[in-house]
Amino acid sequence: MRNPFHALGPQALGPQDRALLWSRLRRPARTFLALLALLAVNVTLGATRPFAQAWIVELAVVAVMAAIIILVSMEVRHEAPLVRLFAGVGFFWVAILFGMTLTDYLAR
Amino acid sequence: MSADCIGADPVGVTRAEHFAAVAQQRHAATLGMWAWLLTELLLFSGLFLTALILRLLHPEAVQAAAGHLKFWIGAVNTVVLLCSSLTMSAAIELSRLGLQRLMVGCLLATASLGLLFLVLKGYEYVADYEEHMMPFLARRPYALAEQPATRLFVNLYYVATALHAVHLVTGIAILLGLTWKASRPGFLLRHQNWIEVYGLYWHFIDLIWIIAFPVLYVVNR
Repeated sequence: MRNPFHALGPQALGPQDRALLWSRLRRPARTFLALLALLAVNVTLGATRPFAQAWIVELAVVAVMAAIIILVSMEVRHEAPLVRLFAGVGFFWVAILFGMTLTDYLAR
Repeated sequence: MSADCIGADPVGVTRAEHFAAVAQQRHAATLGMWAWLLTELLLFSGLFLTALILRLLHPEAVQAAAGHLKFWIGAVNTVVLLCSSLTMSAAIELSRLGLQRLMVGCLLATASLGLLFLVLKGYEYVADYEEHMMPFLARRPYALAEQPATRLFVNLYYVATALHAVHLVTGIAILLGLTWKASRPGFLLRHQNWIEVYGLYWHFIDLIWIIAFPVLYVVNR
C-alpha cells in the first residue's frame, strides 16, 4: 500500500499524529539545546581564559557532552544489556589506556 | 511493525534467513556496529592521549602551536556537527513513525551539514598553509621553526583532523547511498533499522569531533 504521507509534510497529519510527531522530536531538540549550551560554556572559557584551571572545567564539560551523546543520542540507555556492556567496556579500555599512560608521565 | 507508526506504510524489518527472529536481527546489527565503533574509539583515543602527553612534555611549544589554530572555525564546525546530529536523530524518529519523505529530507540535511563541515575544514587548512603552519612540507618554510617541539603537536593536529575528515567523507558517501535507497517505496517496511544503525556511526563521528575540538583547540590556548 502506498503511504499517503509520502508526498506530504507534517501538515497532512491529524492532530493526534502531529502531537505524536512533536513528542518524538522533543527529545532530539532538547538534546541539541543542551549540547549547544555546554559547547557555549567551553567556547566562552576558551575565548576568555578566565582562570588558569579552566582546562579542568573544559574537560568536565566535554565528558558531560560525550555522556549525553552516548546515552541519549546513541540511545545506549534503552539498548539491550549486551550492547550497554560493549559500550561500557569500550570506555573502560580507554580509561585503562589513559590511566596507565598518564600514571607514568605524571609520576616522573 | 511499530505500534506508533503514523504513516500508512507499516514500518519494520524483513528477517534474513540466518536469524531466528527480527528482534535478534536488529540486536545483532546494533551490536555489530558498536563492536566496530569501539575499535574506532580506541584509534582516536590513542591520538587524544598523545595530545595530552605532548602538552605535559612540551607545554610552551603546544601552546604556541595551538595559538595558530583557527579557534572560531573549530567552534563553528562543532555547531555544524551538533546540527547534523539533530537532523540525524530526527531522521531516526521519523523512520520509526513511517514518515518517509520527511525522513529523507532530514538525511539530506545531515549530509549537507557534513559537507559544510568539510568545506570549513578545507578553508582552515588553506589558512594554515598560507600562515606556513605545515611543517611536513619540506620545501615550505615553517612559521614556528625556532621551536622544534611544535612540529609534534601540529603534525598530530593534521593526523587527527584528517583522520576525522576521512571518516566524515566515508560517512557522507554512505549516507547519500542510504538516502537514495531510503527514498524507494517500501524501504521502511523492509529496512527501517538501517537508519538507526547508520545513525550510530554519524553520532560517533560527531562525538569524536566534540572531543577533538577542546583537546586540540580549547585546552591548549
